[in-house]
Amino acid sequence: MSIRNAYSTKPLPDAVAELQAALSGTDTRLVLLFASPAYDPAALSRQMKDAFPSACVVGCSTAGEIAGGKMLTGSVTAMALDSEIVSGAAAVVVPNLSAGIDLSRAFEQLEHYFQTARSDWAMDKYLGLVFADGLSGAEERLIEKLGDSTDVFFIGGSAGDDLHFQATYVYAEGKSYRNSAVLVLLRIEHGFEILKTQSFLPMGKSLLATAVDEEQRTVIEFDHKPALVAYAEALGIPPEDAPAQFFDHPLGLMAHGEPFVRSPQRSDGRSIVFYCHIKEGMQLEVLEATDIVADTRRAVEKHKNGRREIRGLIDFQCILRTLQLRQEQRCEQYGEIFAGIPMVGFSTYGEAYLGHLNQTSTMLLFH
Amino acid sequence: MPGQTRRMLDSIVEQRSKGNPTLRAVTVTKLILKGIDPDRFTATSPDDATVVAKVRAIAAELGVKV
Repeated sequence: MSIRNAYSTKPLPDAVAELQAALSGTDTRLVLLFASPAYDPAALSRQMKDAFPSACVVGCSTAGEIAGGKMLTGSVTAMALDSEIVSGAAAVVVPNLSAGIDLSRAFEQLEHYFQTARSDWAMDKYLGLVFADGLSGAEERLIEKLGDSTDVFFIGGSAGDDLHFQATYVYAEGKSYRNSAVLVLLRIEHGFEILKTQSFLPMGKSLLATAVDEEQRTVIEFDHKPALVAYAEALGIPPEDAPAQFFDHPLGLMAHGEPFVRSPQRSDGRSIVFYCHIKEGMQLEVLEATDIVADTRRAVEKHKNGRREIRGLIDFQCILRTLQLRQEQRCEQYGEIFAGIPMVGFSTYGEAYLGHLNQTSTMLLFH
Repeated sequence: MPGQTRRMLDSIVEQRSKGNPTLRAVTVTKLILKGIDPDRFTATSPDDATVVAKVRAIAAELGVKV
């Protein structure tokens, strides 16, 4: 198998030994690692790099892990990809996200590794992964700068910490980092696809952000009215009932008919704080929740039944989706969607694909 | 002159996509995520100086000249 996945619930160092035994291959080029915050990040990252010294070893802490169709907690999950799938993989760390984002050094390092100028990275051959500190609040700027700097897609998620909101970590090449992002550039041999899925439909009601505090991810006014009042009016409910609707009725920035979901987190007076920023002047659709399992199954089946075999899959799944699945006791049903596909993933504090997203699953499919 | 915003946005999309339809769609999405939806502007839309300045700033971020 060119792509292998495994998980362990043992403590260190036994967990690494178990993963090493399950994942060892002939020419492992990339090892992805997603772990519960119960694991010491520095020790885990170092031990995994020691176990796979010739591979690029990257990942992050999580708010829940996914492996082989199982939705887990308190575990460490990993995927190993051989050179037949990934012929090149290089990781760079973008430090100190909160102080501003400068990607010039990171891109220089990646260009040097691949001996190819950024402008020559073919978007059907090269793909980026991005793992960011999920408490940095910097993901929008990071992902926007990535999109400004290259046409290559970057997909990934924000590190989690089981909803403690105290410390999240990214891992790269034997070390762990906070307030940082890890960028991984891959050269992929047999093609890939990106799948973005969210279980919402527009209700036909829109809100225009007319006053925002972008840094605080807060909308002060929609349509020149207090944000909470305008949101409640769109749903036809009193403002005091609006927060109870946040989960089922997030907002969507529409692009080509697809929502890029912005999830309300809480009300702050008559303002609304979101899990990702909204810019002034953005027109957003009020969304209505649909069925996560049915929608995800439909989206994955479409690719499963495509012309090309899916040889492996990485699922960057919003923690809000995971919480809903847990509440509805449908984690097993969700996992069954991926039957027969080597897969790993994790529950994120935000998904990355062209932008920073909420209540979405972004998936990378290897052919 | 009406329509300047639309022309600038078209130019950004053309320069970034270089005729590649996938890149064209991606560039439009990037613009929307930056807060400017090209579909909201037509060849006859009146130009707002604030919006024009915003589009110029976006062009600079995307490394193209308008």
